[in-house]
Amino acid sequence: MRVPLPQLFTAFLYVGLTAFGGGGNAYIYQLMVVRRGWLSEREFLETTALCRVLPGPVFANLAAHLGAKLGGVLGGLVALVGVLLPGSSLMLLLSLAYFHFGAQPGSSAEGALSGVAAAAIGLVLATLLRQVRVGLDSLKAILLALAVFVTYGLLHWSLPLVLLLAVPVGVVLYWREAE
Amino acid sequence: MREGLEVFLTFLRLGLVSFGGGMANLPEMARILIAKGWVTPQQFADGFAMGQFVPGPNMLAVVFYGLSAGGLVGAVAAALGMFLPGAMGAILLVHGWEWMARARWSRALRKALVPVSMGLSASMLLVLIQLGIDSLWGFALMGLATWLIYRGANILAVMVAGGALGLGISWLR
Repeated sequence: MRVPLPQLFTAFLYVGLTAFGGGGNAYIYQLMVVRRGWLSEREFLETTALCRVLPGPVFANLAAHLGAKLGGVLGGLVALVGVLLPGSSLMLLLSLAYFHFGAQPGSSAEGALSGVAAAAIGLVLATLLRQVRVGLDSLKAILLALAVFVTYGLLHWSLPLVLLLAVPVGVVLYWREAE
Repeated sequence: MREGLEVFLTFLRLGLVSFGGGMANLPEMARILIAKGWVTPQQFADGFAMGQFVPGPNMLAVVFYGLSAGGLVGAVAAALGMFLPGAMGAILLVHGWEWMARARWSRALRKALVPVSMGLSASMLLVLIQLGIDSLWGFALMGLATWLIYRGANILAVMVAGGALGLGISWLR
């Protein structure tokens, strides 16, 4: 399927405008698969799996990949700009206000922001809790996750080092299952 | 301009190693940005919170960090460094994907990345709590938000309510 660039851009711009609170994949899914039928269910699932393996935010990777699938390399760039433009403009405005007016400790702006921060951390925790049932389904999964948490989270080893050790070990652990 | 380049290279490095979702490297990012003096621990937490508030990828917080590090040039440099490596890979892999899906190593890798990324998420959670929550109120609010979102509440509504509650609490104190 081939989609003209302007149409591709407005579609991804719409996703960028409306995808609040993380979970951007769900928004892309609704628009591309359910509403417009640009991709099949299966194509979408496979693509998401690929974008999880790549470095960088999954949401942005998915947009770029699907854009490229539907409109070539230019389509990929157009899709990336589309999903990033609304949020990054708003983020820039908010940041300028933050640094201009400052958020003094004890001020109402800082009070509101620390409330948002607490809610945002709740979002991360809730997402993690939801994934636990599916993700930690075996002893080796639990041990692998624990090893990463201890080395990276508690002992502060550097991320490249932790990945360099954990990923090959993980591939070996799952080699038999991946037949 | 030289500062912009340094910001770009720093975020490019962070973007390149952020396997398992962009937020996996949040602890590393906090350590590096705070050590360079680009943000204070409080600002790091505030920037993360604002990143949850805008539409699009959560990692748009890098715009905030880049702005703090090097002005407007820094903001653009940080966003490019964070988002370009993965996106370019994703675009180029449109054709390599069929082959990758068949390879055994890639299927083992995909399975292995699930628990690895959960360990990274738990590390991220620890850093966020250390940087962003400094009172019993904060903990209570976090617990409430966790419960609501876990039960399927609208995320934006929870964020707005969190802001309103934080505002109310700061007035009461």
